[in-house]
Amino acid sequence: MKVLATYNIKGGVGKTATAVNLAYLAAEQGARTLVWDLDPQGAASFYFRVKPKVKGGSEALIRGRRAVDRAVKGTDYDNLDLLPADFSYRNMDLELGDTKKRTRRIDLLIQPLAKQYDYVFLDCPPSISLVSENVFRAANALVVPLIPTTLSLRTFAQLDRFLADNPGRKKQQILAFFSMVDNRKNLHRELVEKVSADRHDVLATRIPAASDIERMGIKRAPLPAFAPRSRSATAYRALWAEIQARL
Amino acid sequence: MSELRRFVVEDGSDLTTLVSGLEQRAPFEREPGQVLDRTFYDTFDWRVHGEGGVLELTRSARTRSPRAVAETWMVWRAAATGEVLGRWAIDRVPEFVWDLPDAPTTRRLAAVVEMRALRPLVTIRSQRATLRLIDGEGKTEARVVVEEVVVVGGAGRPDLLLAPTVEVQPVRGYPRATDRLSELLAAQVVLRPADRDLVEEALAIAGFVPGDYSSKLRVAVDGDAPALDAVVAVLHALLDTMAVNEPGTRLDLDSEFLHDYRVAVRRARSVLAMAKGVVPPDLLDHLRSEFKWLGDITTPTRDLDVYVLTYADFEATLPPALRPDLHPLLAFLVERQHRAHAELVSELDSPRYSRAMDRIRSWLADPGAEPHAHDPLVVPEAEMPTSAFSATRIWRAYRSLVRDGRRITPYSPPEALHDLRKDAKKLRYALECFGSVFPAGALAPLVKELKGVQDVLGEFQDCEVQKGSLRDFGEALVGEQGTDAAATLMAMGYLIEQLDEREREARAQFAERFAFFDRHHNRAHFRQMFGPPEPAHPDPIAPEESSTMSVEP
Repeated sequence: MKVLATYNIKGGVGKTATAVNLAYLAAEQGARTLVWDLDPQGAASFYFRVKPKVKGGSEALIRGRRAVDRAVKGTDYDNLDLLPADFSYRNMDLELGDTKKRTRRIDLLIQPLAKQYDYVFLDCPPSISLVSENVFRAANALVVPLIPTTLSLRTFAQLDRFLADNPGRKKQQILAFFSMVDNRKNLHRELVEKVSADRHDVLATRIPAASDIERMGIKRAPLPAFAPRSRSATAYRALWAEIQARL
Repeated sequence: MSELRRFVVEDGSDLTTLVSGLEQRAPFEREPGQVLDRTFYDTFDWRVHGEGGVLELTRSARTRSPRAVAETWMVWRAAATGEVLGRWAIDRVPEFVWDLPDAPTTRRLAAVVEMRALRPLVTIRSQRATLRLIDGEGKTEARVVVEEVVVVGGAGRPDLLLAPTVEVQPVRGYPRATDRLSELLAAQVVLRPADRDLVEEALAIAGFVPGDYSSKLRVAVDGDAPALDAVVAVLHALLDTMAVNEPGTRLDLDSEFLHDYRVAVRRARSVLAMAKGVVPPDLLDHLRSEFKWLGDITTPTRDLDVYVLTYADFEATLPPALRPDLHPLLAFLVERQHRAHAELVSELDSPRYSRAMDRIRSWLADPGAEPHAHDPLVVPEAEMPTSAFSATRIWRAYRSLVRDGRRITPYSPPEALHDLRKDAKKLRYALECFGSVFPAGALAPLVKELKGVQDVLGEFQDCEVQKGSLRDFGEALVGEQGTDAAATLMAMGYLIEQLDEREREARAQFAERFAFFDRHHNRAHFRQMFGPPEPAHPDPIAPEESSTMSVEP
């Protein structure tokens, strides 16, 4: 079982679309896949049309009163399950703070799923918090969408520093890639070229800023499910292939 | 995930009325209709079925969905729940699991089917309508699939239309929706619960009985019957196994047809070796020499099969930079294997082969008709009860193994370990062929520990033989390619070094495994089950050889 977390300190960079689309593609290939929507806003749950509700909420999960796999819902797609968001996840930091092994809790909750799933995608809320520290412990790889703006790249540098200063964490890969790239904008082109030249660890695939990705919110489905041959879906396939090769 | 719920539509009912009736009873969304060709696959020995799975190739015969990325899928699912265990978009029909794209799911399927060929069994054409039960968000909570199926004919069998079925497919996490739909369907007068699933039905129509072949010897012998009957019954079963595996061996569909054929030959040789005093000596000598010949003619192909199968493991032990250097070896092995197989087939076509098979078959059909079949001077043990006969043979094989095993030291030559491996096999076959007269529960732990000894001896012998073969292959390669073979030879040298290391480990492990097998508890157990009635001493070889052996502590 590989655990991948889509993460960025900054919000609105296409994290959830990435988690949902990559998970769909993994499942389409036949891998048994789970998405855990950790964001109290519940965007991933919304895309899958699953009610953002977990019985007993975040507290029941974190304290182990409700087994994680009993809260899982099958999506409309084969091999693809969702652990829904719950509004109570906004308090997850507090729940985690009250437990033993406070930075390993999520890892401990996920490990029993190893027999059931090949991939677990954690869709994380933005910010650096106890939840994100847990996610860093649990994940084999952090999938980090970067939008080609100065502020976004600045937060990527912050993330790098934070992870470097955190010697206790599990060694995981950072798989950053450019998202929402608009090739008509000079600034986007320049930033992408500059960063790609400086940092060879940034993945080669770029996800375009495209209206079909925005239509996921209208269709309430993963992009490759409703527009499998679109340019953006093709880009996500390339991204997934690149990530698999790195894992 | 809960079980599938399947119903059969009664004759003469109108499906359209049924579907529209259902649509009025719950918030359904209808998916575009599909026509699918589904071909079910399994290995010759039903490995997918044995693990509770179904493997099928699904082609959209006609699709109205422009979204479909691929038209042909290999799908592996759990038979009971329908849960998808693996799925592959394919552009050519796989013959083996390694023809599928590498993925975690492929590795799981590989653990089930291993090196066996995936053979198509039966094709159905299914016309499907799917209704999704949705909630207020448009989320699917369960599905109802209405299916009309034609079992596609072939080999003189006409197409056969089955009664339409209606099935509830659950979605994880929504048990209430599934229950609700099951109740709704159960209340329909035109539906009755199905008594078996579609795959079983289609396979039965095509004449397949899932699980009807296993490489395990499945013959029950009667402990009170005469020994001759048991020998005949076991040989019958072994000859049947050979016959069943012969076509696949001739066509080389996969390596295991020949492997199972050879195991049956070896078991038969073992039975014949034990049949002294039961089968008239002239016949016995003849059969033993013919079965030895069968072993000999099948060995070269099997050896090369093993090299081809383990090639990938070999290659993986090399540093990545050296791996391409080894490729010529694979080409060499494959070519040799083809040649060896062609020779094997010509032996199977030879008059000697058909004569040998005819001879044993005619004897087995009427063993009493053989000259001296009942002459107590010629076959003194033919009438002995099978339980006593089996016990003496198992006991004898056990004593040899223990005696020879205790003589093994860290300095024994490889031949001594090879001979010991033969002893172990003899005992194993004796237990497998005639063990059914003894309580299975008491036998199982002994067989398990014996297998532990066999495994380590097998590992030792494999390394020893492979080292020798690699040297021979190396010489042959140089003969064919001269100095071009230099890089390949270097890579092979690396392999020989690793085999040496494995061989050393196996030898070190042997002492431990054998001592465990030869502990007091097992000795007492063997003696109690198979030994002579008066145990002078619990040690199996103590009375005869106590002066030269270290015995009970």
